[in-house]
Amino acid sequence: MAKQTKNTSSDKDQAEGKPAVAEPGENGQTTVAPAPQKDEMVHLIVFKLGAEYYAIKIEQVKEVTITPAITRMPRTPGFIKGVTNIRGDIIAIMDLETRFQIRPASLPPDANPNVTYTLVIEAKDYSIGVEVREMPQSLNLPVSRIDRAPSFLQDINIQENFIEGIAKIEDRLIIVLDMHRILSQEEINQLPNA
Amino acid sequence: MKSREEEYKEIFIAEALEYFDSLNRHISTLEKQPDDDQTLAEIFRLLHNLKANSKAIGYLQISDVSHKLETAFSLIRNKELAFSDEVVAVLFDGIDMLGELIQNVDNPDQGEPDPILLRNLDIIVENLSDSTIELTKVQKYNTSKNLSLSELIYIQIKKLDHMMNLVGELMIDRDRIISISKELGNDELASVSSHLYRITEDLQYSVMGARLVNIGSLFNKFPRIVRDVAAAEKKEVNLELTGQDIQIDRNILQIITDSLLHLVRNAITHGLERPEEREKKGKSRVGHLRLRAQSDRENVLLELSDDGRGIDLRKVQKTAVERKLVTEEVAAGLDETETLSFLFEPGFSTAKEVTEYSGRGVGLDVVKNAIDSIGGRLTLETEKGKGTTFSMLLPTSIAVKGALLFEVNGIFYAIPLIHTDQVVALDKDELHEVGDVLITDLKGETVTVVYLHELLNAPEADMRLGDKTRLKGQVQNIIVVSYNNRKLGLIVDKLYRQQDIVVKPLSKPLESIDLYGGVTLLGTGKVCLVLDVPALTRYFINRRQG
Repeated sequence: MAKQTKNTSSDKDQAEGKPAVAEPGENGQTTVAPAPQKDEMVHLIVFKLGAEYYAIKIEQVKEVTITPAITRMPRTPGFIKGVTNIRGDIIAIMDLETRFQIRPASLPPDANPNVTYTLVIEAKDYSIGVEVREMPQSLNLPVSRIDRAPSFLQDINIQENFIEGIAKIEDRLIIVLDMHRILSQEEINQLPNA
Repeated sequence: MKSREEEYKEIFIAEALEYFDSLNRHISTLEKQPDDDQTLAEIFRLLHNLKANSKAIGYLQISDVSHKLETAFSLIRNKELAFSDEVVAVLFDGIDMLGELIQNVDNPDQGEPDPILLRNLDIIVENLSDSTIELTKVQKYNTSKNLSLSELIYIQIKKLDHMMNLVGELMIDRDRIISISKELGNDELASVSSHLYRITEDLQYSVMGARLVNIGSLFNKFPRIVRDVAAAEKKEVNLELTGQDIQIDRNILQIITDSLLHLVRNAITHGLERPEEREKKGKSRVGHLRLRAQSDRENVLLELSDDGRGIDLRKVQKTAVERKLVTEEVAAGLDETETLSFLFEPGFSTAKEVTEYSGRGVGLDVVKNAIDSIGGRLTLETEKGKGTTFSMLLPTSIAVKGALLFEVNGIFYAIPLIHTDQVVALDKDELHEVGDVLITDLKGETVTVVYLHELLNAPEADMRLGDKTRLKGQVQNIIVVSYNNRKLGLIVDKLYRQQDIVVKPLSKPLESIDLYGGVTLLGTGKVCLVLDVPALTRYFINRRQG
């Protein structure tokens, strides 16, 4: 309280001191930002199969790791590369190129042919690895950039319901896969018994 | 269900009665052969154990009488007390009294032990063979009118393992029956198979329960080990044990024994500082080591903590860079967990400078693999200057199977022992090409033999199981398996060892491939495929027919 007091009567001083407080609300800044028509974003992990780019939503990917030593399992379908030990968990490694009969493309000259990457996909009650040859990339893009898959795709090897959509980024076309559908029950039943 | 305490009491009584029986037997022998040192030593040992056990559980009268008898026998052993008739009578009375006390531990009406007898024991102990003080006659104890057998039996772990294996087999058949009943849609069969399901489940848990032991049975070995290691390292260590009564599968405890021993040794050798160093740092002279067990839902959590120097993360990063496990830029950005994970890299630890600096590491990968192999988890926390804690989360119970390990075409396989009949090494000339298979004569029995590499890896169209030219080398290692009373010899590339393995079932989408019963992790961290003998046999038969 910066008020001068002539009398020593403190009761009066306190009563008079009240109006000395500055009035609030003088600065006229707006707290509400002007909302630009923001689209919902989706985070994808992009990888290459053959010559094309594919992607999986990041929520379906548990981790990306350099592929550890794989133990081959004789007499299993060709797209099962084998099993591997990732931190004590034994998971199957799948080769989607073989699975979808995609013709493998030659590696870029700067890639190490001895190193592959594994995307660990988390399904409901188990994990599975997807092996890719080039380092997967991470990509953020608005949901609106993903188109629903055109219907004629059902005729090709990757059945339509595995494809969530097609994303177009600049000159690239990215096929967004729904891994959970790929790993669905009917697929598992396609594994022949020895 | 009985409480844990009651269970302990029962075990104590059963053991004590066994000791009592042995004491009676030995003292009778001793009476006839007073110079038999071995018998004397045995009596001494029995009394000593009885004293310790009864004291631990709180039966002080028993421990008191055992103590008096132990003293008397130690005098006899040192030839300070003659094994005279008078003394023998008192000792027999004493042992009878022990029996009485043991049988009546639960009886509140049981009074104090006979004071006259106690006095007699004191007299022979204190006055040695000087018999100036009259021993007082005591009323003869006659407790053994009723002979009784113990409520507890000892059982070999092997027998329990066998039971567990049989339960595993039973469960496989049970599941088969359930699926057949689903296929057939017969109501009666469905109700029987669901009953079978419940019974086998109960059976499984009973057998698993019978395999549980107290963690204390391992923990209690550590005070002595810690003392010895500390003495050798000139360190002062106080070991604190908690949770000894937590129960865990005996084989899991067996598998982690070496790991725990290793970690404890490491903690004393490298973790804890010498007394002078500790004082300089303002710590107590005595280092503290804490071994703790606690139940954690379905699992058991084992923790080993020390209050030593902790692990220097920067030194670990530096070594990781030196060993080219990671680049310098990446190493600098690693967090604590990522940095510590280098310690579990094979061979990382053996670098001398790491053990000196970080104080940890020799064979931590081995510890990690052991824990992995039983489906457990190993984690580590450390703070520089404050200490280190290793935590092991272990399953309480697990099916451990004996299996034979081998290699075919660079891949490790295991076959459960339950399916193996014998292992033989035969010269190539003893194998004969008959039709499209190989056969051999084993002790008068004709056995079909198949080259596993050909069966597993040859393109199916080009599979030639009866072609000897496909074999490598002259001498063939053959595992003879039997299934449905049919024998089949499997030629393998390299035969390893017999080992207890924990079979991890394959997860989707591989679970439906029945050639593999599952996988197991070897001590090396390598994945080993567990071959399913029934499926393998079926596959072989189908091949021949196809």
